[in-house]
Amino acid sequence: MNPEPFLQLDRVIHEKGRLAIMSMLAASPELSFTEMRDTLNMTDGNLTTHIRTLQETGYLSVTKSFQNNRPLTTCALTAAGKKAFSNYINLLEQIIRQNKA
Amino acid sequence: MQSIGMESNWAVEHLQVIRTLMERSALYRRALAPIMIYNGVVGLAAAAAGWGLRVGSPRGFIIFWAAVCAVAMAGSFLLVRRQALKESEPFWSPPTRRVTQAFLPPLAAGLILSVVVLAGVDSAPAHLDKVIGMLWLPLGWVVLYGCAFHAAGFFMPRGMKLFGWAFILGGCGLFALGIPDWTRPLVYAYGIMGFFFGGLHLAYGIYLYFTEKNGNEP
Repeated sequence: MNPEPFLQLDRVIHEKGRLAIMSMLAASPELSFTEMRDTLNMTDGNLTTHIRTLQETGYLSVTKSFQNNRPLTTCALTAAGKKAFSNYINLLEQIIRQNKA
Repeated sequence: MQSIGMESNWAVEHLQVIRTLMERSALYRRALAPIMIYNGVVGLAAAAAGWGLRVGSPRGFIIFWAAVCAVAMAGSFLLVRRQALKESEPFWSPPTRRVTQAFLPPLAAGLILSVVVLAGVDSAPAHLDKVIGMLWLPLGWVVLYGCAFHAAGFFMPRGMKLFGWAFILGGCGLFALGIPDWTRPLVYAYGIMGFFFGGLHLAYGIYLYFTEKNGNEP
């Protein structure tokens, strides 16, 4: 078996929590912090840490605004994030194909 | 060999998790029970009021139900907005946009049909005006409303498509039956509207009230 695809998997995305965040954002142009927290059953601290890591890698952009005097944090994938996520999926599919062959 | 199989299983599971999360993220997740119950109560109250006030002309019937529709839509809009504000989330979120876009074509068709009937119903032969305005048109509304729910159901929790099918099949079934001899058009027309837009909404709303987890789960 060629181990190359597995070794090429993006370690930032490969972590379970960050993969979940990336997956949700890949299906939606933007999502609020609370929406992601409730869907993923994460604590505020845990989600904040993962978002920061993804933001520092350049995969995710965070927008802070106010809606009716209440703070609103929304996240969206950047172009680099979309590309990295797409590559990650392609590699997973490659691993499956390779093992079927 | 075993590690190859394990790696493949792991990759398949990963893809499955990704797919599930992407689907959940795209779903409309506002609590629907209050909206359904509100619309059910409005539908039943309007049917009772219209029948009690004897709004019996086809033209009056169409205008009356157009006003009821406006009240129901405005109330639903406020309920959704209140939920969004409570959860500090944008009202016009991507799932809300998708659901609205799915609802629009059948609802627009219903509106156009209503305007056409409203404009022409007075010139219809005497025996046909009530059939067109108070039987065919409301059943058209029922079927189109069912189509709207079925389309939106692709972006909403399971069950919404079945709710749409109940309207579609019920409406088509009553089309086939025509007006039974034992009833009068006024009673029958308000009965149809009360049953579909009142009773069905209320029943589904009560069901959702007891089954929706945390009021926000798909």
